[in-house]
Amino acid sequence: MSSQRANQLIEAGLWLRLSGDAQGARRLFERALELDPTNTRAREYLAAAAGAPSRGAATPFERPPELESSLGRLPPTDADLPSSPALEGDWGAWAEGQGGPSEGGGKSPPADVVLPEALEGTPADVLELLSRDVVIEFDEPVIQAKGDTDEFGLPEGHTQEFGLPVVESELDLLLRGAEDLLELDDHSGAVDLLFKAKELAPSDVRVESLRARSERMLMARLESKLGDLGRVPAVRLQPDDIIWLNLDHRAGFVLAQIDGSVSYEDLFSLSGMTRLDTARILVQLIDEGVISAG
Amino acid sequence: MAEPEPLIGIDLGTTNSIVATVQDGQPVVIKNRTGQGLTPSVVAMAKNGKRLVGSIAKRQAITNPQETVYAAKRLIGRKFSSHEVQDSLRALPYEVVAGQHDDLRIRMGGKDLSVPEISAMILQELKADADAHFGRPVTKAVITVPAYFNDAQRQATKDAGRIAGLDVLRIINEPTAAALAYGFGRTVNGRVAVLDLGGGTFDVSVLDISQGVFDVVGTGGDTYLGGEDWDNRIIEWLVFGFAKEHGIDLRKDRMALQRLKDAAEKAKVELSSVREAGLNLPFISTPPGGGAALHLQATLSREKLEDLTSDLAERVVGLTTEVLGEAGVRASELKEVILVGGMSRMPQVVEAVRGYFRREPCKGVHPDEVVALGAAIQAHALVQAEHELLLLDVTPQSLGVAIAGGSVRRLIPKNTTVPTSATEVFATSKDFQRLVKIMVLQGEHDLAHQNELLGEFVLTGLREAPRGQVEIDVTFDINAEGIVSVHAKDRETGLRQSITVTASSGLTEEELQRIMDEQRGYLIAARASEELKTRRMELDSLARDVVDALTRARLLPGGGGLAPDVVPRAEQVLEHARAVRAGEDVAALGRACELLTGCLAQLKGPAPSGTGR
Repeated sequence: MSSQRANQLIEAGLWLRLSGDAQGARRLFERALELDPTNTRAREYLAAAAGAPSRGAATPFERPPELESSLGRLPPTDADLPSSPALEGDWGAWAEGQGGPSEGGGKSPPADVVLPEALEGTPADVLELLSRDVVIEFDEPVIQAKGDTDEFGLPEGHTQEFGLPVVESELDLLLRGAEDLLELDDHSGAVDLLFKAKELAPSDVRVESLRARSERMLMARLESKLGDLGRVPAVRLQPDDIIWLNLDHRAGFVLAQIDGSVSYEDLFSLSGMTRLDTARILVQLIDEGVISAG
Repeated sequence: MAEPEPLIGIDLGTTNSIVATVQDGQPVVIKNRTGQGLTPSVVAMAKNGKRLVGSIAKRQAITNPQETVYAAKRLIGRKFSSHEVQDSLRALPYEVVAGQHDDLRIRMGGKDLSVPEISAMILQELKADADAHFGRPVTKAVITVPAYFNDAQRQATKDAGRIAGLDVLRIINEPTAAALAYGFGRTVNGRVAVLDLGGGTFDVSVLDISQGVFDVVGTGGDTYLGGEDWDNRIIEWLVFGFAKEHGIDLRKDRMALQRLKDAAEKAKVELSSVREAGLNLPFISTPPGGGAALHLQATLSREKLEDLTSDLAERVVGLTTEVLGEAGVRASELKEVILVGGMSRMPQVVEAVRGYFRREPCKGVHPDEVVALGAAIQAHALVQAEHELLLLDVTPQSLGVAIAGGSVRRLIPKNTTVPTSATEVFATSKDFQRLVKIMVLQGEHDLAHQNELLGEFVLTGLREAPRGQVEIDVTFDINAEGIVSVHAKDRETGLRQSITVTASSGLTEEELQRIMDEQRGYLIAARASEELKTRRMELDSLARDVVDALTRARLLPGGGGLAPDVVPRAEQVLEHARAVRAGEDVAALGRACELLTGCLAQLKGPAPSGTGR
C-alpha cells in the first residue's frame, strides 16, 4: 500500500516539476521516499532535484551567484520562512469570505492509483503522458485503478473488462494528486494539476469544485502575503541588475509596470493575466527581493 | 463671506484631457491623483470587472483591446451611418454598434454605452481631481471642443458634462482657448494661426481677434495625425531591429507590444530635451522553443527619430498650407503663430513650422496645458463680472436649406456670430406645386445629402401656379443659446410653417435622465465599495495583530499575566469579525474593528505598574 502511495506521490511530483514548482516536487519525492525507502524512482528524482537544476527545476526568479553576493542580504524566500501559525493561515484562508479548508476531517483518503511500469509501449513517465496529443485507445491498459474502484461503481479487478476510459483514469490520477497536494498544504501545486485536469475534463464538477477551492485558498494566501493591495510596490534593483535575473516575459511585463505609481490592485487590472497568475508573479518577485512590498 | 464657487476649464482631448482653474488671478492646471497634469482619455473595463479611467486604462490598452475605449472624441455626436464613423470602425479594436436613432453605441463590459457616457467617465475623473483639489464638489465648467465640431458634437459634449454631474457654462473652441491662455484677448488685434498637434489629431485654425472677439475664419487639419504616429514609427524601428537580431516578431505578443508602445512614447518625449534616449526592455520575449527570455536594448538618437518621421513633419506643413489657402490667408499676414499640444515640444515640429512661417512660433512652457488654461480663464470671466473678456459664440458650420437638384442654399455662413437672423426668398420649382418641403441642413458641402440634416417640415396650401410664380420667405433665426428656428411663409397667402431645431447628441432627454440616474447609482456604489474595501483591510490588519498577540499570549507562561477572560473573549471577537467580514455591512465592519482594537489593547497586557511615580 505504501509503495502505491509513494508512486502516486512521485507522479504528482513530476507534474509539479513540469510546471516549474521544483520545491513542491522535491517535497513530494521526499515524502514518497519516507513511505517507501526502497523506491528507486523517488530516490533518482530526488537526486536529480538536489543536483544540477534543470530548466523545470529552476525557479523563474533565480539570479546568478555573483549578483546574489553583490546584493547582500535579501528578504527570505517562502522556503526560508518558518511556517505561519495555524491561526494566521486560517485568517488568510477565509479572508476572501468564502471557501477555506474543509474542517472536521470528513475527507476520505484519496484512492490509490499506480502507473504500470512494464507495459510495452505505454508511457510510464508523466512527462510523456503530457506530451501525448491523442488519447490512447480504450482497450490499451494504461492505468489501473485499484483498491477504491468501488467508489466509482466498478468491481475490483474488472476495470479493463468494463472498458474504463483512459481519460477518466488520467483525470483520477490528477485529482488524487491534487488532493494529496492539498493535504500537504501545497495549493500552488494542486492548482497546476487541476489546471491540467480541467483541460482533460472541462465540465467535470469534481475538478471544478476542487480547482475553485484550491484557487481560492491559494489566492487568499498570496494576497495575504502581498498585504494591503492598495500599497504601491517599488523595484529594488537597478536596471543593470535586473537583466541578470532569470525571469520569463510575463514576469518581465509585470515588473515593467511597477513604476512607483501603481498599486497591487492596479497591477491586477493592467497585467492582462488572471488574478492568480499576477499574484503568483508578484509574490515571487517579492520573495526573490526584486521588488519591495511598498 | 462665503467662498466663491470653484470653476474649472476642461480640455477634453482625443488622447489626453486636462482640467484647470484660476487661482489668485492665475490660471493653473489641477494635477490628477497620480500627480500628472495630463489624464489619458482612455476608459476600460478590466478583466476583473473594474472600471479604469486614465493612465491605468491606457497602460492595459494593448493587452485588453476589446474592452478599452480610446479616441471616443472622434465618434462623439456623430451618426452611425456617417462615413467618418464607418471609416473609424475599421481601425477600432473595440466594438461599435448602431443605436436607435442612428447614433452609435460602444460595447464595453457587456453593456452598450453611448459616446457621451464614455466621455462622461473621463470628465468624472477630472471632476473628482478638481473636487479633491478644492476639497469640495465642483460643478461649473467650461469645456473645449475643436473648432470644426458641429452642433450635434457640441451638444453631445455638453451631455457628457451633464452625465458627469457638471453644469457646462459654455462650450468654447480649442484654438480660442489657446489664444486666450496666451493673453491674446488683451494684446492682439488681427489674425492668428493656432496649430494644435496633439496625441492623435492635428488641428489648424485661423482666428480673427478683434476687441476681444475671437472669430474662427478657417479650420482644418487631420483627425488621424498626432503623436501616436511618431510613437508607431519608433515601435516599427524597434520591432524590425529585434526581428533582425532574434527572428521574433514582437508585434504578435500583446504584452511585448504594450511595453514597446510605452517605451516609444517615453523615448519620444525624452528626445525633445536630450539628443539620445535609451530603450531598455528586459525580458520582452521568451523564444518559442523555450530558453532564457530575451532583452531589448536600443539607443535612439534625435536625428534617427527625425529621419524616421520626416514625412509626418512634412504633413504638418502641408495641412497648414491647405488650411491657410482655404481661409484665403497668407502666412505673412499673420500676427502670431501659436503652437499647441504636447507634440509641439518636438524640435523637429518647431523647426518645420518656423521654416514655413519664417518666424518664431509662440510656444509656451507647457503647450499641452494651454487649452485647459484658456478654458479656465473663460469660466472665470463668465462668472466674475469684473472681467471684460467677451467671447462671442459663433455658428461652427453653415446653415441652409436643400434646393431643387439636390444642392444647398446657405443662409447663414459658418462663423457667424450669434444671435443672428437671415431671410431669403425661394420660389416653387414645379408647375402647380401645392406644397414645399423645407430641409434644414448644416455643413459645408455643396451637395445636400453630404450635409447634416437638422430637421425638416412641409409648408402646404400653396396657390396652384406655374413654377417660379409662388414665392416663399424662408427665415433662419439663431438665438444666443444656439437654438435654430426656421420659418417658411407663403408671401401671397401669409400661410406659415416653422420648426425649431435643438441640437441633439443622439440621446433623448429620457435616455439622458436614465443615464444620469445610473451614473449617480454607480458613484454611490463605487464610494460604498471603496469604504467596504477600506474597512475590510482595516479588519484584516487588526485581525492579524490579534492572532499574533493571541499566539504570544498562549506561549507565555501563565498567559503573560492576562485576565482569564481575555483570551476566550479575543477568540470570540475574532470569530465575530470573521462572520462580519463575509457580509457587506460597513457599520458592522466598523464595530468589529472597534472590538478587535479593544481586544488588542487587552492582549498587549496590563500596563507595567510602578514605572511612573
